[in-house]
Amino acid sequence: MARVILVFNKKVVKEYPFPEDSMTIGRNKANDIVIDNLVVSSHHARVDRTGNDYILTDLQSTNGTFTNNKRITSHKLQHKDKITIGKHLLFFAMSKQERAKAKEGKLNNTIMFDTDEKKELLEKQAVKKATDVSDQKGKIGVISFIDRSGEGEIQLSKKLTKIGKAKTSEIRIGGLFMPPTAATISRKPQGYAITAATGKTKVKVNNEVIKETYYLKDFDTIKIGSYKFQFYSHDTGDEK
Amino acid sequence: MKKMREKLKITAAGLSDVGLKRERNEDFLAMDNSVGLYIVADGLGGHLAGEVASMVAAQIIQKNVKNWINKNSPVTEIFDFPDMTLSERGNYLSSSIKLANRVIYEMSQEYTEYSGMGTTIVVLTIMPSTTITANVGDSRIYLIRGDSMEPLFKEHSMVAEQLEMGLISEEEAKISPLRHIITRSLGFSDTVDTDVFEIEHMNNDRFLLCTDGLTDMVSDNEILSIIKNGNDPEHICQQLISEANKKGGNDNITVSLVCLSKQADEKH
Repeated sequence: MARVILVFNKKVVKEYPFPEDSMTIGRNKANDIVIDNLVVSSHHARVDRTGNDYILTDLQSTNGTFTNNKRITSHKLQHKDKITIGKHLLFFAMSKQERAKAKEGKLNNTIMFDTDEKKELLEKQAVKKATDVSDQKGKIGVISFIDRSGEGEIQLSKKLTKIGKAKTSEIRIGGLFMPPTAATISRKPQGYAITAATGKTKVKVNNEVIKETYYLKDFDTIKIGSYKFQFYSHDTGDEK
Repeated sequence: MKKMREKLKITAAGLSDVGLKRERNEDFLAMDNSVGLYIVADGLGGHLAGEVASMVAAQIIQKNVKNWINKNSPVTEIFDFPDMTLSERGNYLSSSIKLANRVIYEMSQEYTEYSGMGTTIVVLTIMPSTTITANVGDSRIYLIRGDSMEPLFKEHSMVAEQLEMGLISEEEAKISPLRHIITRSLGFSDTVDTDVFEIEHMNNDRFLLCTDGLTDMVSDNEILSIIKNGNDPEHICQQLISEANKKGGNDNITVSLVCLSKQADEKH
């Protein structure tokens, strides 16, 4: 079993055996390791065990958690790692068996992480950033018609939205020279991208003809034939 | 008016290599040109379990997708509920992955020798005008178009999630000790979520499917330069693998390159 040794002013204060699966560090009395010092946040850091690994996570503390003199957000602890919190030092020591296992696993093994532990770890890390997270996730793109009123808005909820004359198009637009599919909008890993489907019908974004693919930004205007649209994204509230 | 039809030609190659440090190859590669289906899987789990997981997953996906395509199955009649944000073929991919997940999960619950096994998966399918990708885990699919290479997958790893939440920077992600921890795989729980992307493909698009044995060793820029300067898909695959081995070959390496070319076809 691993141990954590608390050192202050070059003296060992106490040695803590690692509990079942996680260990918390902070000023609050409820922590496994209590450090009563003003530079230490009430819930400062925690160490989680996942399989053979120990992962140290800084809980968005005010003054930071350092391992081997580098500030970290999360860090896989190695035998003899030095954790610095304020003026206190914590030495991390693994047992002999654990060190042997760690060596074995050094071949850059891909490992699977238990979903619950992962969630907990990420949630802990995201406590303070919670608002940013909801900003980034769950955004949905919307296309709204400009000029031709009455058509309203169309949500780009599909992975691939086709724009054109064809009956199967998600956004149907007419016109004498309109091809079955004039453009498509894909929901890609980096965001919504519009592609002109044929060379013949020009697709303009912000009045410039696009070549191949263009990543849409909020309030970009799109012009296909005589139709004008505007793109923007908003929160859906759900995760996907 | 004379109608011009475009004929789509697919040239594909794939190779899998054990690398230099591992004893066995736990990756699996499946290609089916008849339906334009390409699959790469990276198995996890000790003994023979990793090899079994990646093979079972790829074969189940290939068999079912092919069967559903040939029978033109309605999406409401295939495994699990359809996802209305996806096209029919997108649903075939996502559904077959869920089915493979269930089979691997049940095998791992039933037999002790398969306990804890799992696999990543990347699937690519080429349709007359669109390309659809699906993935679980940290194996990858890239689109190479002109001079650029862009991801068509979402990485399910600890580091990718931290990066998305803005907890770490891209530089930190590259050296993070957590970079081999994946947060989703087939066989780990009774259900799995898949990320599917659908795009309209263009003439001369190329798609690369690969496992982390390639991307951990060879940088994106080096990969792009090998593909850009190459011509024959099989030769490019060989070059990618020998580059990964030259840099250490720490893991099994699997790559598959699918090249599209559209030719005008005047016949009806």
